[in-house]
Amino acid sequence: MADILHVLFRSFMSRSDQTRALTASVTAPSSSTSSSSSSSSVLVLGDNSVSHSLLLLAAVTAASQLGIRVMFFTRTHIRRLPACVHKCVPSPSPESLKKIQFSYPRTVEELLQQIASLHESTSPCPAPPSLIIVDRLESFLCAPGVGSHSEFQSGEQSCAAHLSALLCDTAAFLTQVLEQRSSSAGPCRVIASFQSEGDAGQTGQESPVLDVLDRYFQVRCTLDQSGGHEAATATGRQQVWNIYLSGRGIKETTSTTDCEEKPGVTQEWQLLINPNGLMEFRAV
Amino acid sequence: MHSLLPTVADQLFRDIQKTYQETSQIPDDLLIALKFIFGPCALPALDLVDQHSVTCLSSPSGRKVFQVTGGSGRLYTCFVSCHYCPCPAFAHTVLRKNEGLLCKHILAVYLCQAMGVTQQDSVTDQQVSMLLSGTSTT
Repeated sequence: MADILHVLFRSFMSRSDQTRALTASVTAPSSSTSSSSSSSSVLVLGDNSVSHSLLLLAAVTAASQLGIRVMFFTRTHIRRLPACVHKCVPSPSPESLKKIQFSYPRTVEELLQQIASLHESTSPCPAPPSLIIVDRLESFLCAPGVGSHSEFQSGEQSCAAHLSALLCDTAAFLTQVLEQRSSSAGPCRVIASFQSEGDAGQTGQESPVLDVLDRYFQVRCTLDQSGGHEAATATGRQQVWNIYLSGRGIKETTSTTDCEEKPGVTQEWQLLINPNGLMEFRAV
Repeated sequence: MHSLLPTVADQLFRDIQKTYQETSQIPDDLLIALKFIFGPCALPALDLVDQHSVTCLSSPSGRKVFQVTGGSGRLYTCFVSCHYCPCPAFAHTVLRKNEGLLCKHILAVYLCQAMGVTQQDSVTDQQVSMLLSGTSTT
């Protein structure tokens, strides 16, 4: 679900933009079946250093503002929060930071095992995470030897499907657990980032792995720096990134309409990264 | 998992469920529809149903997973809430070529659920974790 991202965007809107009344959410699960998780997942595409900062900011925002538990899977050891998080959330409370659990699986097999065992920790008492974040999926999926993760020659696509499906299935199960404990506790959301070789090389071609990921993640959050990507400010060069939210999980509502649902609409934001690391968002 | 299917397939399983509850049979018109929608994997899936090949494994945490015994005796783990099967046909036909909705194992899960003939079994939380992660098939 993109609701976490929208909390993030609105929390750190540039001041000139904070009067805009645009609100957005994603479509509610179409039924009470266990498919609810599939509408709770966002894939962040683009530059992995920016998406890494965005995911960390999402984790801190979710923990500090929404008070929810976060599981953060990454291969990049995080010794301190990056400048952008410090600038945006100057003094997060230790209690809220304790709600974020970082995990550093070294291989996709370890990542699968750790995600698959999340249900074990919910029995009998600890609260399950309401947000599962996987940083840089490509660092797990495109590593040497991934093609042999099963006996079949299924390769990266099958591995991507397994990982995505496991994330969706786990989120669906944890949503049930959260809602059984408190009707307002759910759902469990998934946010993952992915940078394909095409993005890195600017070839413009979508990778076969991305085709598979799109089957499971209902919302795409694309980071794009094309066209006028830097702007001069009094303190230096400011990076400007366009953020496009798209996919079948998106609907748009505005405060002046009857909340008409528009499946598949694209929502656009801008991310401004100041030279001092401060990240600001602007609705387009 | 039903809402992951096109409406026509979703409705077909509802029809099969209703008819099977009333008559304990699937009439020819629904079998033809099944073949029309799911193509070559329809008949092998019905074979798997006949052989009681689908088991729903539950653990104390409440986590569930389907296990399908393939024609060769191999076990395939399928998820409860979304489409995934580790079999080569799913990787090739569904993921790579995008030529099919499902493989025969997932279709057998749908059919067994509709007909109410899914086997039930209990396993430990750790066993379910291993099945989900693909580190174990038993």
